[in-house]
Amino acid sequence: MATYLLRRLLLGMLTLVAITFIVYGLARNMPGTPLTVQMGESDPSRKLNPEDQERMKRIYGLDRPWHEGYLRWLGNVVRGDLGRSFSRKQPVTTLIGERIGPTFLVSGTALVLAWLLGVPLGLYASARSGMADERATSLLLYILYSFPTFVAALFLQIVFSVWLRGTAWELPLFGMSDLPADASWAARAADIARHAILPVTCQTYVSLAYDSRFIKANMEEAVRQDYIRTARAKGAGPGRVLFHHAFRNTLIPLVTLLGLSLPGLIGGSVIIEQIFTWPGMGRLFFESIRERDYPTIMGLTLMFSVLTLIGQLLADLLYCLVDPRVSVE
Amino acid sequence: MTDSQSRHQSRSFQSQGFWADAWARFRRKPLAMAALVFVTLLAAVALLAPAIAGTKPVLCRYKGRIYAPCLGYFDRRLEPTIFAKDRFRGTYPRNLKEKDADSWAIWPLVFQDPHRAVRENEWPGRPANPAKDEGRPNGINLFGTDQYGVDVFAKMVHGTTIALLVGVVSMGLAGTIGIIVGALGGYFGGWVDMLTSRVTEIVMCVPTLVLILAVIAIVEKPTIWKTMAIIGATGWTGIARLTRGEFLRLRQSEFVTAARATGAGPVRIMLRHILPNALAPVLVPITFGIASAILTESSLSFLGFGPPPPAASWGSLLNDARSNLSMWWLVVFPGVAIFLTVLAYNLIGEGLQEVTDPRLREARK
Repeated sequence: MATYLLRRLLLGMLTLVAITFIVYGLARNMPGTPLTVQMGESDPSRKLNPEDQERMKRIYGLDRPWHEGYLRWLGNVVRGDLGRSFSRKQPVTTLIGERIGPTFLVSGTALVLAWLLGVPLGLYASARSGMADERATSLLLYILYSFPTFVAALFLQIVFSVWLRGTAWELPLFGMSDLPADASWAARAADIARHAILPVTCQTYVSLAYDSRFIKANMEEAVRQDYIRTARAKGAGPGRVLFHHAFRNTLIPLVTLLGLSLPGLIGGSVIIEQIFTWPGMGRLFFESIRERDYPTIMGLTLMFSVLTLIGQLLADLLYCLVDPRVSVE
Repeated sequence: MTDSQSRHQSRSFQSQGFWADAWARFRRKPLAMAALVFVTLLAAVALLAPAIAGTKPVLCRYKGRIYAPCLGYFDRRLEPTIFAKDRFRGTYPRNLKEKDADSWAIWPLVFQDPHRAVRENEWPGRPANPAKDEGRPNGINLFGTDQYGVDVFAKMVHGTTIALLVGVVSMGLAGTIGIIVGALGGYFGGWVDMLTSRVTEIVMCVPTLVLILAVIAIVEKPTIWKTMAIIGATGWTGIARLTRGEFLRLRQSEFVTAARATGAGPVRIMLRHILPNALAPVLVPITFGIASAILTESSLSFLGFGPPPPAASWGSLLNDARSNLSMWWLVVFPGVAIFLTVLAYNLIGEGLQEVTDPRLREARK
C-alpha cells in the first residue's frame, strides 16, 4: 500500500510538471503580452513606449525565453510562491482566496441540492422502472441533461430579468451584490442570495439530471444481482430490498462520483460565472487568459490539476477499500 | 472456393449478423429512431442550405447559359465570375431582369441572406429587414432579424453545416487518436501502456478551455476547421480509456490466441481481430462525444471565440443575444436548435449502447 501510494505520488508529480509545462508554453506563446493586451485595448494613449515596455518586460522576466520562465516559475512554486498577478497587482494566492468563496457558494449549494433531489429521484425511477410515470420523469431528466447550460441561463435571464421586470419575481441579471459595502449584514446576505438563485439553478439542474440517471443506472445493475433474488426469496419487502440490499451496494460508485466532482466544486463553471458575471474562479480563469496574466493562469491550472489528480487517486483508493476484488498492486 | 475465401465469408457473415441484429433492435426504439431521422434531416438542411435560404438563385439562365450562383454560399470561388464582371454586386433579382430580359431563375425557398440584411425593394415590393430590436419573427423573417437586420432563419440554416461538421470531424479525429492510443496501451501493456496511460492522464487534466483558447490564440488565422481539430485533439481521452479496457480484456481471449498461433502479426491482430469486436462499445462514447463537441463549439462561439465572420454558428447567434436580451428570438431559436441536436446525438448514443451492450440487452428480455 505504501509503495503504491509513493508510486502514485511520484507519478502525480511528473504529471503535474508535464501539465504545467504544456500550459505555460501555450500561455506564453499566445500573441500579445500582459503589457500590450491590457493597456493597448482599453486606451491607445496609455500604450507604453518601447523603452518602458522593455524595462517592464525585464522586471516581469518576460524578456527571457519561455522555458527559462517556466523553470523560474517552477522553482518559486516549490518554495511555495505562486507569484503576483500582472494585471491585478496582487499575489495569486490572495486572488484565489478572494474568488474561492463566491464559487463555493454557488457550486456547493448546487451540489447539495443536486444530491438531495437526485438520490430520491433516482431511487424513485428505479423503483417504478418501466411504468408510465417513471418513463415520463426519465425522459424529462434526459431532456434536462441535454439542455446546454448557457442556453438555459439565457432563457432564465430573459424570463426573470426582462419579462418579469418590475414584478416581485424579478431577479438580478448579473453580479453578486448591488448593495454598498456598508449595508447591514442581513441585507447583504439576502441580496447575495437573490443574485445566486439563477446561477445555482443553472448549475443544479445539470448535475441533478446526471446524478439521478447515474443512480438509476447503478440500481438497475444492482437489482439484477443474485443477492437481490436471495433477499426477495427470504421475504424482504420491496422497500427493504430497494434501500437495504440494492442501494447500499451502489454507494461505491456514488462516493467515487462525489470524489470526482471535487475539482468542479472549487473550480466553478467558466460559462455560468461568465454569463452571470459572478466573481468566482471560473471567471478569474477566463479573465486571466484574456489578460495574458501568466502567473494567475498557472496558479489556477496548478490548482485544478492537483484537485483532479487527488480526485482520481481518491476514487482509485476508495475502490480498493470497498471492493476487495480490486487490488492496488 | 478456396479455404481462405470461405473463412473470410464466414467472418463477414458473423459480423454482419451482429450489426444487422443491432440495427433491428435499434429500429424498434422510437426515440432513437426519431433522433436518427432528425440528424438525417439536419444533414439534408446543411447540404441544401443555399436552396432553402439565400439571395442567390439556385439555378438561373443568363445570357444564354445556365448558372448555379447559389454554390457561392459553399465557397466564394464557386460563384460564376460572370456576375461579378457584370457588376451584380450580390443583388440578383433586379440585375438579372435589367441586364438580360430573357433570363429566368429558380430562387431559394426563403429570400434572405445569412451574411447581410436584405435591402428595400431588393425583392420587388418587399421592405428592408428591420434592424435593432424591431425584427420580431414575422412572415418575411421567420425567426426574426438580429441587431443589424440579418435574417436569423437564414443564419441558422447556413449554420447547420458548422454544427454537423464540428461533431463529425472533431469526433472522427478524436476517435482515431483515442482508438490508436488505447489499442497500443491495451494490447502491448507494460511500458507502452504506462506511457500511453500517462499521456492520456495529462491531456485529461489540462483544462480543456485553456488548451482550446490558447491554441486558437496561437494559430495564425482561426478558422472553423482549426477549432474542430483542436476539439478533436483534446477530446479523445475517454475513448482511449475505453478502447484500452476493451483491448486488455480481448487480448486474453481465445480467438486472439488462435490468430497468434496462425502467425498473425500484432498489427493484423489489433486491426482485424480485436478492433471489430471492440468497436461497438467504443462507438457509444464517440456518439456522445459528437454531442459534447457541438456543445463545446457553441459555448466557444458563445464566449466570442467562434469562427470568424461572415460564417455564423448557432453559438455566435447566442453571443449576439447576450447584449440584446429583449430580443428573445435571438435566444429561443438557436438555443432550441443546439438543444435538439445535442439531445438527438445523446439519444442515438443511448440507443446504440442499449442495442450493442449484451448486459443491457439481457435485462430487457
